[in-house]
Amino acid sequence: MGKEELKELLNKLPDAMTEPVRPGLGEDIKHQIPHRLSPHRVGMDTINIIIDFRINKLAAAAAIIITIIFCATFLGGRDSTGGSVLQDSMLLIKYWGAADTSKISAGRSKYEHLLQRGEDVVWYGDRLNPKDSGAVLMQRKLADGKYEVTFVDGREKQVTAEDLITLLSEMLQKKTK
Amino acid sequence: MAIKKANLTEQDFDPAHPINKLRELNKLKENSEQTRDSLARRLRAGEHAAAAELVDIYYKQIYLFMRRLGHDRQVSEDLTQETFLNAWHHIGQLRDGKALNGWLYRIAGNVSKLYWRKHKGRKTATLEGFNVPDNTNAQYDKVERNEQLEQLKNAVARLPIKLRQTIVLHYIQQLTIAESADAAGVRQGTFKSRLNRALNALRKQVT
Repeated sequence: MGKEELKELLNKLPDAMTEPVRPGLGEDIKHQIPHRLSPHRVGMDTINIIIDFRINKLAAAAAIIITIIFCATFLGGRDSTGGSVLQDSMLLIKYWGAADTSKISAGRSKYEHLLQRGEDVVWYGDRLNPKDSGAVLMQRKLADGKYEVTFVDGREKQVTAEDLITLLSEMLQKKTK
Repeated sequence: MAIKKANLTEQDFDPAHPINKLRELNKLKENSEQTRDSLARRLRAGEHAAAAELVDIYYKQIYLFMRRLGHDRQVSEDLTQETFLNAWHHIGQLRDGKALNGWLYRIAGNVSKLYWRKHKGRKTATLEGFNVPDNTNAQYDKVERNEQLEQLKNAVARLPIKLRQTIVLHYIQQLTIAESADAAGVRQGTFKSRLNRALNALRKQVT
């Protein structure tokens, strides 16, 4: 059959492929119109797109985390400890993965990472009591002369040199007891 | 005004004249575009009456679209309702009156696609329930034409879903290429290429 002939025949299909529609259908649909129709916000649309793509929840969560890291890195507002987004992500995943087993090993990863970057860091993880949540895991010297201290429980705090000495001596005293 | 009246010719009074028919068609088209624009604006403003109007205009079209895609009657009704429910939730994505057809058919197409995905083993509903209108006088022509139409309907039903949707959108729902491409969620070039593939497939099957 020729293309034109086929097109001509196709144009007859709308009449050939029809049937009466149940009259109540329109009314049924009208009953479902929400009382208040409101256009979506941009954020809601983004979530809907993710849902529409049928991405599994874990992949969606990973996408959101990577987006947050990406935005934080490029838009500022974060005291960056990593050299790149990838390294930061790896560190984050390592840290989360280690949360239930050993926070010390996660801290060690961070220490090695900072050391690689040439930061002035000192590791105390081999000499502390892991049950002491106030024990100092490592120290990192900041540009303004202060120190960033990471505790066993994952907390971070900026302290002066005097405060750091106090913290370390307290830790030593606890250990000797 | 007097000059205008003096220039009037016979064709200005003859409604059957081709120029007047064309004018009439253009006027209808303009009115329809204005109506659609106004409807889209009211929908975006969240007007309840506009939503009811949208249902009145489109519910039969969407139901038949579902039937023509191969869903049975009950499923087509359910999917039509689902299409409108989704439409209420995505009103923010409606740009303007021109995009109305593409927007609603795209939602309908996605609803149908999700249904097929969920019910992979389900067969397409046969088109036997549809009536072929009796327009020709010659008995022989009528029989031959009906046979060809039957063949064509069956051939459309056998097409892969993407190609079937292409034929249904453009030839059966009679959307323009731009609207059909928008509804299928592809560029116009891609849509034309699919249409070509679908036509070639149909040509091989209809004799």
